[in-house]
Amino acid sequence: MPVAISVDASEVSENLRRKQGYTFPFLSDPKADVIRRYELLHPRGSPEGTDISRPAEFLIDRSGTVRWENFTEDVRVRPRADELLAAASAIR
Amino acid sequence: MTDTTTRKRTLAPWVGLFLTVLGALSNGLPFIGFPAASVPWISLLLSLTGFVIVLLGLWRAFGQSTVYAGKLSASIAAAFSLLFLAGAIDFFWSARHIPAESAAAPQVGQRVPDFTLPDSTGHSVSLTQLFSGSAGKEPPKGLLLIFYRGYW
Repeated sequence: MPVAISVDASEVSENLRRKQGYTFPFLSDPKADVIRRYELLHPRGSPEGTDISRPAEFLIDRSGTVRWENFTEDVRVRPRADELLAAASAIR
Repeated sequence: MTDTTTRKRTLAPWVGLFLTVLGALSNGLPFIGFPAASVPWISLLLSLTGFVIVLLGLWRAFGQSTVYAGKLSASIAAAFSLLFLAGAIDFFWSARHIPAESAAAPQVGQRVPDFTLPDSTGHSVSLTQLFSGSAGKEPPKGLLLIFYRGYW
């Protein structure tokens, strides 16, 4: 199950979730506490110069162990679905 | 006898401008399912190539003005293509300007820290709760944590 996390307020995320028709949870971390704990902070990265998360994806199993991860070098470059699906199918 | 009507027109400024515009538009390719990894480079290459062709047009119009006409159109095309090129370079730089200091982020094989955050309806949920599954649904075998920039 995907879980999306950003600094966006709940209402903003809910808006995005509805517009895109996503059914998975969108979590709000407006103060970037969790983003900081995961070492993913992009200081002053937003258009308004506030702290945001860098794009990153972690596939974790039930023990909370990372099985696959992706840090992009370019915000325009998204993770490859085939890599992710291969890692996901390895979780039993 | 040479008058202005016998001078050739050069298409180079317009071809070049077209390529720089195409370069800017190519940033949207990932949205239509194009493999994204090469897009940043395609955009930059198109913009640079376009600008070089515009420069060729400028050189023809000004350097070889006895052969080619179109000083004004070449200048206009050059001004616009320079804008698009500057935009492409700025966008290329800022899109890749991601802090490198994520060395301490969870690595493959490590456990991620638990957390509790409000979901989009305002209810607090923890990582553990997400794994336990919601009412009537089978608990997930795995979770894909997607950290994104927001502002969509």
